[in-house]
Amino acid sequence: MSTAMNFGTKSFQPRPPEKGSFPLDHFGECKAFKDKFMKCLRVKNFENALCRNESKEYLECRMERQLMAQESLEKLGFKDLMDEKSETKKNLEREENN
Amino acid sequence: MIPVKDRIVKVTFNADVHASLQWNFRPQQTEIYVAPGETALAFYKAKNPTDKPVIGISTYNVVPFEAGQYFNKIQCFCFEEQRLNPQEEVDMPVFFFIDPEFAEDPKMAKVDVITLSYTFFEAKEGHTLPVPGFN
Repeated sequence: MSTAMNFGTKSFQPRPPEKGSFPLDHFGECKAFKDKFMKCLRVKNFENALCRNESKEYLECRMERQLMAQESLEKLGFKDLMDEKSETKKNLEREENN
Repeated sequence: MIPVKDRIVKVTFNADVHASLQWNFRPQQTEIYVAPGETALAFYKAKNPTDKPVIGISTYNVVPFEAGQYFNKIQCFCFEEQRLNPQEEVDMPVFFFIDPEFAEDPKMAKVDVITLSYTFFEAKEGHTLPVPGFN
């Protein structure tokens, strides 16, 4: 059992973020995407898994406006959303060709 | 990275400012439910209500202490100076994930809540952030 009084034995070591700092969105260029994401969270009881499209769109907005370094969406943890998208596209194409 | 869906963690958010920093700084959500291995986005908001530009710099803390090693920030607004102009208000995102290995650690078996706290300090010339181990 640890107490709050263990001076100096262990202290939390903060680590810098992997990809550094987000530049500030001074002009609110991506505010609409943020609002959409926050609205989704409120509606879905703050379950992250249900708002991942909205978070992906927010990050895409930042990347398009140089407010975030370009990174593949798969690397940002959205691989399943990309796979879903290409599955839907393939299915649509198959339907069209029939 | 495969999300561990049978191990949902509640991440709660705190915001603090050091006494000398006159910003209004707060989280935009009190909590988010995430699976280890799933990337997640959360927002804070900061406003400079003064009539002068103010530069802040933030650090963060994770409790419980042992969960901190599993908390990975991909990108956030911390550790670098952030300048807010007079009356300016901005959204500050944090993009993070909990390492899936969290779900394998028996020491973490009873951890259902992880709290992320950010504290903003005023950045002054020659001032170094009082964060152990960070240069």
